[in-house]
Amino acid sequence: MNVPFSHLLIIAFLLFLMGLASILVRRNVIRVLIGVEIMLNAAGLVLVGSSALWNKVDGQLFAVFLMAIEAAEVALALALVIYLRRRKGTLNINAFNEMRG
Amino acid sequence: MTWTDFAGLVPVLILLGGAILILMAGAYRPHYRLFILAGISIALTACGVAVFSTSAVKEVSGIFRCGPYADFFMALWSLLGALTLGISFRYGEERKFAPGEYVALVLFSCVGMSFLSMASSLVGFFLGLEMISLNFYILTVFHRQSPEAPEAGMKYLLLGAVATGFLAFGIALIFAATGTLKLPEAMSGMVAGGQIVPLGLLAIAMFLVGVGFKLSLFPFHFWTPDVYQGAPAPVTGLLASGSKGAVWAAMVPLGAGLAGGLAEIVPLLKALALLTLATGVLCALVQDNIKRLLAFSSVSHMGYVLIAFLSGGLTGERAVIFYLVTYSIVVLGSFGVLACLSTPLGEPRALSDFKGLAYRSPFLAAALTIFLFSLAGIPLTAGFIGKFHIFYSAVRAGHTWMAIAGVIASLISMGYYLRLVFLVFQPRTDSPSPLAVCQPPGNIAVAFCSVLTLVIGIFPAPLLKFVAAILSP
Repeated sequence: MNVPFSHLLIIAFLLFLMGLASILVRRNVIRVLIGVEIMLNAAGLVLVGSSALWNKVDGQLFAVFLMAIEAAEVALALALVIYLRRRKGTLNINAFNEMRG
Repeated sequence: MTWTDFAGLVPVLILLGGAILILMAGAYRPHYRLFILAGISIALTACGVAVFSTSAVKEVSGIFRCGPYADFFMALWSLLGALTLGISFRYGEERKFAPGEYVALVLFSCVGMSFLSMASSLVGFFLGLEMISLNFYILTVFHRQSPEAPEAGMKYLLLGAVATGFLAFGIALIFAATGTLKLPEAMSGMVAGGQIVPLGLLAIAMFLVGVGFKLSLFPFHFWTPDVYQGAPAPVTGLLASGSKGAVWAAMVPLGAGLAGGLAEIVPLLKALALLTLATGVLCALVQDNIKRLLAFSSVSHMGYVLIAFLSGGLTGERAVIFYLVTYSIVVLGSFGVLACLSTPLGEPRALSDFKGLAYRSPFLAAALTIFLFSLAGIPLTAGFIGKFHIFYSAVRAGHTWMAIAGVIASLISMGYYLRLVFLVFQPRTDSPSPLAVCQPPGNIAVAFCSVLTLVIGIFPAPLLKFVAAILSP
C-alpha cells in the first residue's frame, strides 16, 4: 500500500471531528444531519482502509451496508424534517425545548 | 447462503414477509382492526415457529447465529410485538393511525430486535440496531397531531443519528485494530499479550458511546424522558422493553471478552452502572409525569442490568437475560395500562390523574399495582426474583458493594412506585377522573402481562433453568 495507514486514520479522525463539530455548533436540523453524514463517511473511510490493511473484504462489505443504511437514514430524516418544519415553522433546534422535568 | 440457511431464519422471515404484505395491503384497503389482528397473528405465528424450530445450521452468512439462544429471543420479541399491537388496538383507532404503516413498522422493529439478538458479527449488530432505530424514529412521531411528538421525534432522531455515527466509527476502529468483525474474536482480538492493542481503547470508547445511548446509560440518558413522554404509549412500551432488551441480548456474548483482557475498562463500567442507578432513581423521585417517571425508572433498571452484566459468568449472564425477560413484560404491561387509560383527548399525565383508579377500573388498578410491585422488586412478583439474581451474581463475582448500592437504590425506588400505588387506591373526591375505561383486547394483553409477572414471580425455576440451558447449549 502506497499510502501509510496512519495517514488514512488521521484524515478519518479529522473528518469525524469535523462532523462532530458541525453537530455541536450548528443549530439547524439539516446542518446537524450533514454533520452525522460526515461522521459516517469517516467510519466508511476507516473500514475501506483497514480492509486494504488486513487484506480482507469484510470492511468493504460493511462499508456497502453502511452506505445503504446512510441512505435509508437520510430519506427518513428528511421526511421528519418536513414534518418538523410544518408543525413548528422552524428548523432551529433551540425551538424544540418545551419538555421539562 | 443456501436453503438450509434460510431455515434458521424462518421466524424472522415470517415477520418480514407479513410486514411487507400488510404494508402493501394498507395502500389499497386500510382497515385498522383487521390489520391489527392480522399483525398479531403474524407475530404469534412467528413466535410459535421460533419456539418449535430446530435449526440445522449454526450460523447464517457469518452474520447471524442460530440455535436455542436465537430462537428464544426471536420468540420473545415476536411475542412483545403481538402484545404491543394488542395494546394499540383502541389507542391507535382513536388517533387514526395509518393501519398498514403502523402494523408494518411494529413488525419491522421486531425483525430488527431479532436480528440484533442473533448477531454474531459486528455487521449483524449494526444492521439490527439500525433497523430498530430507523423504525422507532417513525413510530415516535406516529401520532402526528400530538403536541409533544415533534420535539420527541427530533431529539430521538438527532441524538440517535449521532450515536449511530459513534457506533459506526467505533466498529470501523475495532476492525482496523483487529482485522475481524466476528463478535467474540473482534473483542478478544483487542488484547494482545495482556495489553490493549493500539486504537483498541478508542474503539471501545466509541462503541460504548453508541451502545450507551441506545441503552440510555448514564451520561447518554438525557433523551429518554423526552422521547418517552412524546411517543405514543404502546410505542414507548416497545421502545423501553424490546429495543433495550435486544441490545443487551447482543451484548451478553461479548461479556466473556470483557473478563478476558479488557479488565481495564471494568472500573469505568462499574462507575457508569452506579451513576446510571443513582440518576435514574433520584430523578424519578421528583417526577410528576407518569411517563417521565417510567423513563427514569427504565434508566435505573438499565443500571441493575449493567451490574449483572459486569458480574459475568453463567450466573451473571443468566441474571441479565432473566431480568430482560421479566422487565420487558412488566414495562410493556405498564405502558399497556397507560394506553388503556388514554382517551381521545390524551394520555394520563400527572400522577394525580391516577387517584381513585381502583374504584373506577379495578382490573387495570390491580394490573398496574402488580407491575409497580414488580418494578420495585417486591416478593411474589417477577421483579423480585430478577433483582435477587442480579444481586446474587454481583456478590458471587465479589462486587458486594455494587450489590449493596443496588439494594439501596431499590429501597429508594420504592418511594415513587408505592406513592403511585397509594394514589391508585385513594378514593377520588374532587374532580372527575380524566382517565378512560378500557375495552379488550388491550385488556387481554395487559392481563397476559400481569399474569405472567405473577407466575414467573411465584414459579421462577422453569424460566431460570431454561435461560441457563440456552446459555450453555
